[in-house]
Amino acid sequence: MKTKHVLGLTAALMLGGTSLAYAEAIKINGGTAADMVLLPKFLGILVFDQANEGAQEAHAELANGGTLTFQGPTPENSVAGQIEMVTTAATQKLAALMLSNNAGDQISPSAQAAQAAGTKVVTWDSPIPSGAGEDLFISQVDFGSIGVVMADMALSMVGADGGEMAVLSATPDAANQNAWIDAMKKVLAEDAKYAGVKLVDVVYGDDQAEVSYNRALALVDKYPNLEVIMAPTTVGIQAAAKAMQDENLCGKVGVSGLGLPSEMVSYTLNGCAPQFALWDFRDLGYLTYYAAYGLATGQLTGEIGETFTAGRMGDYTIEADPGRANAKRVLMGPFTVYTKDNVEAASK
Amino acid sequence: MMARLKSWEGLLLATLLVIFTFNAWATPEFLTVGNQINLFQLSIEKIIMALVMTFVIINAEIDLSIGSMMGLAACAFGWMFIQGVPPGLCIVICLAIGLLGGALNGWLITSIGLPSLVVTLGTLIGFRGLARVMVEDRGINDFPDWFDALGQQGLLGPVPFALIAFVVLFVVLYIVLERSSFGRLTYVIGSNKDVAEYAGINTGRHKMVIFMASGLIAAFAGLLFAARVGAVRGDVGNGFELDVITIVLLGGVSIFGGKGTLVGTLLAILIVLNLRNGMGLLDITGHLQTGVIGILLIASVIIPRIRLGRRAEAA
Repeated sequence: MKTKHVLGLTAALMLGGTSLAYAEAIKINGGTAADMVLLPKFLGILVFDQANEGAQEAHAELANGGTLTFQGPTPENSVAGQIEMVTTAATQKLAALMLSNNAGDQISPSAQAAQAAGTKVVTWDSPIPSGAGEDLFISQVDFGSIGVVMADMALSMVGADGGEMAVLSATPDAANQNAWIDAMKKVLAEDAKYAGVKLVDVVYGDDQAEVSYNRALALVDKYPNLEVIMAPTTVGIQAAAKAMQDENLCGKVGVSGLGLPSEMVSYTLNGCAPQFALWDFRDLGYLTYYAAYGLATGQLTGEIGETFTAGRMGDYTIEADPGRANAKRVLMGPFTVYTKDNVEAASK
Repeated sequence: MMARLKSWEGLLLATLLVIFTFNAWATPEFLTVGNQINLFQLSIEKIIMALVMTFVIINAEIDLSIGSMMGLAACAFGWMFIQGVPPGLCIVICLAIGLLGGALNGWLITSIGLPSLVVTLGTLIGFRGLARVMVEDRGINDFPDWFDALGQQGLLGPVPFALIAFVVLFVVLYIVLERSSFGRLTYVIGSNKDVAEYAGINTGRHKMVIFMASGLIAAFAGLLFAARVGAVRGDVGNGFELDVITIVLLGGVSIFGGKGTLVGTLLAILIVLNLRNGMGLLDITGHLQTGVIGILLIASVIIPRIRLGRRAEAA
């Protein structure tokens, strides 16, 4: 029932094509003890809890005798807290640290210190922009293809006559959101198909429900002809949809972006957020764990072209990150676009 | 001796020893040199600012703008660096910005006569706004290697520059507060500003010096932060002022002024740092860490009252 987007997968196949043909997939064997930490941007966000569930699933599957700790800072203390926790990981000489980075390049010195202490640093969800201090990034979907999908959703919502769109993002320095917005801007500018979609503003709700809600209302006031609010964050899209519902603006302004089916189902059914997209965070946590465990136990070297089998999810290949020079990634993909036809089934 | 042990500092010292012993017992990594240095480094900006905040609060004032001043100085550094200003000159200008910002606070408080709570709440917002305007929604990095190294590597053996600065600043400020007329005046003005003025003391000038020092040290802390993490963004130092004030109050400095010591502040610094570090090594999450520090602060307000109450009953 899910509408699969295969762009990310196609890109991966094209990039890794030659090495894929000969490389034997490495099976990750369990049983070796390795202490690992899963560090989200901050605590209290459902998708990060789901990533933890996936990591715990892999942890049990691989019978890792070490510990897997899910640990994060409070939202107000995210940057300083992440730096503190990465530093602590180095002190503890952890085998692997799995980080969704919210501190931009400010995390690099502490991440490099962790690497120097022998800890494998695997980022997921949000990478270290410069790549310094990072062994590998587990990319949920190809960042360029997120731009295409968001542009497509916007186009179908403004219709053939075109219209105005504004972006409601998370924090101004979230590396992942910024990359997706840039990718969307590029698609809008380069492909004549999207000429009718006019991006009027980008605002930030700091991934807090109340701030995002107020930013969404401010957008509607500022741009009376606004037709789409595109929120590439699960917090922002829900807050924006609620704001439009509360103000009875749902027919006029549509909300879209990246959301969780369980949080968005009522807004999608009542038309406030007619379509949105997301990948499975549980899978992301699962795949991240397999890659990090492989690196930490020496079964993977982390070289470009290396292919490994991540349990139930199948084979993945390490490749150069097209968005960041000198950085390596594993591309998870694909992702799902949710509409009133499939959102109910996915929300359960 | 007994009086000393019963004092607030004695209680803090006992608390510190308990936490320190527990950490050493519970986690094998705690007593390593690297961890002991990290313990200070991770909060070095806050503990440096806490030393000057001790003067501010003993003087019966408050400075809420220090976190934002940190951000302003760090962002000004990043912005000027991108414009091609030599880094050495950037540092001097940033420190001057700190002095100027502190002077603005001091002028509004002493010459216009506004309460410091209101003035520095205003500059908390204003300085932060300026910082965000300067770097907009991006991060600035790629500072010169010597600048990053100063923040991240050891200068004297494994001891980094910022920790040396903290120790030197503590010694200097201790002498000023305990042994100089400036220190005595800080207590006198803090206890009763009107009496001090009747006695012919220029309280305005005194407060001005303290606020300028507060701004200067906050700017210095901003530069230390930029060097330590090797990058700046608009949110540098966001919310730090509350952690700094928490430490100072925990150290026994009275929020009404006139009472407190730098030794108390130092003990409170060590308690908070050891507590955070120990909880971090035991993988205790952020929410719980914040909660424990909060309980500690409330206890620090309640316990002296209970003791005072007992004394009143006895009399």
